[in-house]
Amino acid sequence: MTEEPIFSLRNRWFTTAVAVTAGIAVVSATVGFLWLPTLQADARLAGMWDAICSAAGIVRAAPNESLVVQGTYQTSGVIAFPETMENASAISIGRGATLALPCTVCHGARGLSEADSPNLAGQYPLAIFKQLVDYKSGARVNAIMSPRVAGMSDQDMRDLAAYYAYLPRLPGQHPATAGATPRIVESGAPMRNIAPCATCHGSVDYKAGSAWLEGQSPVYLAAQLRAFATGARHNDINQQMRNIARGMSSAEIDQAAQYYAGQP
Amino acid sequence: MLHSRRLILAHFWLAFAGFGIALVLGEWQMFIRSPLHAWIGNPEWYYRSVTAHGTAMAYVFPTLVSMGFGYAITEAALKRPLIGARWAWTGFALVAVGTVTAVVPVSLGLASVLYTFYPPMIGSPFYYIGVVLVVVGSWIWVALMSVNLYTWKRANRGTPVPLAMFANVAGSYLWAWTAVGAAIELLFQIIPAALGLTTTIDAGLARVFFSWTLHAIVYFWLMPTYIAYYTIIPRAIGGRLFSDPMARISFALFLVVAMPIGVHHLFADPEVGAGFKFMHSVFTALVALPTLLTVFTICASVEIAGRLRGGKGLLGWVATLPWRNPMMLAIAFSFVMLGFGGAGGIINMSYQLDASIHNTQWITGHFHLIFGGAIVIMYFAIAYDLWPHLTGRALDSFRLMRLQLWSWFIGMIVLTFPWHYVGVLGMPRRMAFYDYADPAIAPQALSVIASVIGGAILVVSGALFVAVLVRGHRAVRVEPGAYRFSVAVHQPQRVPAALNGFGLWVSLMLALTVINYGFPIVHLLSLPNTSVPVVRIGAAK
Amino acid sequence: MSGDTDHGAAAIAAARVERRWAGLSIGIICVLVVLAAYTGIHQAVMPQAQVETADPRTLHISGEFIESNLGSAVEPDGSVTVRAIGQQYSFTPQCILIPTDTPVRFRATSADVIHGFLIEHTNVNTMLVPGYISAATTRFSTPADLVMPCHEFCGAGHEGMWGRIKVIEKSAFQKLAADRRRMTCVAQ
Repeated sequence: MTEEPIFSLRNRWFTTAVAVTAGIAVVSATVGFLWLPTLQADARLAGMWDAICSAAGIVRAAPNESLVVQGTYQTSGVIAFPETMENASAISIGRGATLALPCTVCHGARGLSEADSPNLAGQYPLAIFKQLVDYKSGARVNAIMSPRVAGMSDQDMRDLAAYYAYLPRLPGQHPATAGATPRIVESGAPMRNIAPCATCHGSVDYKAGSAWLEGQSPVYLAAQLRAFATGARHNDINQQMRNIARGMSSAEIDQAAQYYAGQP
Repeated sequence: MLHSRRLILAHFWLAFAGFGIALVLGEWQMFIRSPLHAWIGNPEWYYRSVTAHGTAMAYVFPTLVSMGFGYAITEAALKRPLIGARWAWTGFALVAVGTVTAVVPVSLGLASVLYTFYPPMIGSPFYYIGVVLVVVGSWIWVALMSVNLYTWKRANRGTPVPLAMFANVAGSYLWAWTAVGAAIELLFQIIPAALGLTTTIDAGLARVFFSWTLHAIVYFWLMPTYIAYYTIIPRAIGGRLFSDPMARISFALFLVVAMPIGVHHLFADPEVGAGFKFMHSVFTALVALPTLLTVFTICASVEIAGRLRGGKGLLGWVATLPWRNPMMLAIAFSFVMLGFGGAGGIINMSYQLDASIHNTQWITGHFHLIFGGAIVIMYFAIAYDLWPHLTGRALDSFRLMRLQLWSWFIGMIVLTFPWHYVGVLGMPRRMAFYDYADPAIAPQALSVIASVIGGAILVVSGALFVAVLVRGHRAVRVEPGAYRFSVAVHQPQRVPAALNGFGLWVSLMLALTVINYGFPIVHLLSLPNTSVPVVRIGAAK
Repeated sequence: MSGDTDHGAAAIAAARVERRWAGLSIGIICVLVVLAAYTGIHQAVMPQAQVETADPRTLHISGEFIESNLGSAVEPDGSVTVRAIGQQYSFTPQCILIPTDTPVRFRATSADVIHGFLIEHTNVNTMLVPGYISAATTRFSTPADLVMPCHEFCGAGHEGMWGRIKVIEKSAFQKLAADRRRMTCVAQ
C-alpha cells in the first residue's frame, strides 16, 4: 500500500489535496483581485483589467490631481548620500589646498579657526561640499561666503571638501569644559522630536551630510541652532535640522553649543 | 538507546547557553526603558542588545534545539545509530562558529540593525556572514534527516515511518525551504552591500524575501513543540495518542501552508499589491487548521490519560490527570498560552484588523507569548524528558521542575498581557527610552512596569531551568532504558503513501510559493528604479 | 481517515468524531475570514490600493514631496490630502494639521531608511519604505491632539522620532485654508 503512486489521478490524496489547494487559491484570488479592489476607498480604477493590475501591485504613476506648490525660498538641491562623494584623489586634495588660500583668513591656516568661523579640518567632506553648493544656489546665505562661492565650479567645491577633510582633526581653540553631558545632547527629548545629537553627527552614528561638531565655536553653533529654529537658515534637507532646533529651548541651545565646543 | 548522546547534549547546551544570555539581555532591555530606570546615555547600547537578543533567540536557540532533538528522534524512532554523525558535528561547528562570527560585530556596535536586518541599513558583513553560517549548519541537519529517513525506508518497505520521525523530517523540510527567503536576501542583496560591492538596495524587495522566512520560521520553532505534543506527552502522562493519521495530516498541512503566507507581515507595506495581501491572509487563516486539529487530538489524548486513571463523567477526567507530573503542567501551560497567542494571531493575520495593532508592542507581546511561552515551555519539557537518556543519570528534581514551569508560565503572562494592552494603545516597538512624563504616553507606564516584573520572573525561571539540568549531570546513575514515544490508540499497520512521505506535500509547498510569491518577486525585480542608497550603520567616526 | 479496514468499531467512531472536529475547525476558519473581511470593508480599513514609487534621493528637489508641498492640502472635492516624509529622525511636517469630519488621505514616503507611520488611538498605521509611496485614508470625528511615533527601528535615534497630529474643527481649518495652500501645525 505504501507503494501506491502518489502523483496519480487515481490517488485520492493527490487529487483532493491539489483540488482543495487550487480551489482556495482561485477563490481567494477572485475575491482579492476582482471584488475587493472595487471597494477600496482610494482606488482609481478604470475597469476590470485595471483592478487586477492594481491589486497585483503593478506600479502606478503618481496622481497629478493637485498642483505642486513651489516654495518662496530656495532649498538645498544637494543629493546627500555617501555615494555623492567619491574617494578623494591626491590631485584633488592638492588643488583644494591651493583653492583654500583665501579661506585661511577666517577658517585658519590648517582649517582651525581662531575667529568664530567653523573649523574645517577633518570635517566630513560631504558636509563641506553640501554647504558650498547651498551657498552657491542661495539655499544658504552669508554675506562673506555667498560672493566667494559664486565663481566656484562643482569640481572646485569637491577639491576644497577633499582638502579640508584630509587635514587632521585637532582639538579646537576652545578650553575643554569639565562636567556631565547635558541631557539634551545625550538623550535628546523624544516627545519634542529631538533625537540625541550624536546619532547623526558622528560619535554614535553618522547621517550623510551632517557635520562633525566637536570643538566648534560655541557662538557659531548657538547661532546656527537659533537660525534653524526660526527658519532663517533652511538649507537642511527635508527640514531635518529645523525639526530638531525648533523644539529646543534657548537654554538647551546654549548647553548643547557649550558642550560641543568643549569636546576634543 | 541513544548513541549520539554527546552530539545531542552539545546542541542542547549551546542552545541553552545562548538562550540564558539572551534572556538576561531581554530583561535588561525591558528594565532600562521602563519608568524604573533613568534613560541610558547612549541609545545605541539598547539597539545592540536587541540585535543580540533577537539573533540568539530567533536564529540560534530554536535551530539548535530542533537539530539536537532531531538527532535524538532519528536514533530513538528509527532504532539505529545516526548516519553521518561526523557531518552532524560539522553542522554543529558551523552553527557555533557562525554564532560567534555574528555576535562579535554586534557586541562591538558594528551591526545594530536588529535581527530582522532592515536594509537599506547595513552593518558589518561579519554579522550577516555569521547568520548565513548558522543557516548552512542547519541545512546539513536537514540533509541528514532526509538521508536517515530514506535509508530507513529502503530497509523497511511497507512499514509506516514512525510518527516522530515523519514529523521531524517535515520540520526539517519546512526549515530548508523557509530559510531560502532570508538566504536570498542576505546573499544577493545585503552581503554584497555590506562588502561594499553595491551601494544601493531594493528595500521593498528585501522585505518581501524576508517575509518568506519571517512567518514560517515560527512554525519551524513550533515543530519540536508539536512533536512533543504528539509523541511525548501522551506517553509521559500515561495516556494514548488519539489518532496517528490525524497527526500526520497536521504536520503535512504545516509543510504546505506555513510558508507561502508571509506577506501578512507586509499588510501595511507599500510595495506589495492588495490582491496578494488578501491571498496571503486567506492562507494564513488556513494555517490555523493544523493547530485546531492538534488541539483536538491532544485534548482527546489527554482525556484518555485521565480516564485510564479513573476519571469519570464529562469533566471528571481533568481532576484525575497527573498534575504533579511536570510534563502535564508543561502541556497545560503551553495550551493556555497557545490559546491566547492564537487568538491574538487571528487579529494579526486579518487583512484589515491588522492595521490597529501592526508593529506596535502588541506584536512583541504576541510572539513572546507564542514563542517564548507556548513553544519554549515545551522545549523545557523536551529537555526534562530526554535528559536522563542523555546523561544516564536520574533527573528527579520534580519540585524544582514544577516551580520552574509555573514561574515561566506566570512570568510570561505577566510579561505579555500588559504588552498586548499598550500595543492596543499604540505604543511603538523597539525604542531605547520613552518619556513617560508626557501625558500622551503616561498611561502606558504602569503596564510597562508590570512587564518588567514578568521579565524578572522569567529570568529566575530560566536560572531554575539551568539548575535542574546541571543537577541532572550530578545525580545518581540510572539505566533509563530505551527512549519511547507515545503509542496511538490504534497504532497503524499501514498508512497511505501520501502520509508516509513528503513528495505530495513538498510539491504543493513549492507550487503555492510560486503562486503566492512568484509575481510579487518578479515584478519588484523588474522595477528599474526602486533601489535606494545603502545607509551604513556603525560608520567611521 | 487512514484508509485501513481492519480497525474495530471504536476506530470508526473515533474517525467520525475526528472528521466532525475537522469540519468544525474549517467552519471556524471560514467564519473568521468572512468576519474579518466584512468588518474591514464595512469600516473601510483596507491595505492601500496601489503601488507607487518615489526616489528618496530627489524627494526634496522635485515632485510632490518637496518641502513647500508637504502638509495638508484641500482638494477640489473638499477632501484633504496630507503629504509627509519620514527621515532619520523626524517626520516633515513634524506636526500635521487635520480637520474634523473630512475624508483625509495620507501620502508619505521615506527619504532614507524604513520608518513606521502610526497615529496612536487610530487605525492609521503603515510602513514607510524608501523607494515606495505609502497611502492611508481615514476620518476624524472630534478635535484631538495625538502623537505619531515612528514604530520601526530606523537607527540609533529611533526613540526620538515622534511627530504630532492636531485635529481641529472643520470650520477653523477652512478659515486657515483660505489664505494658505499647505497647512501644518508646526510652530514658527
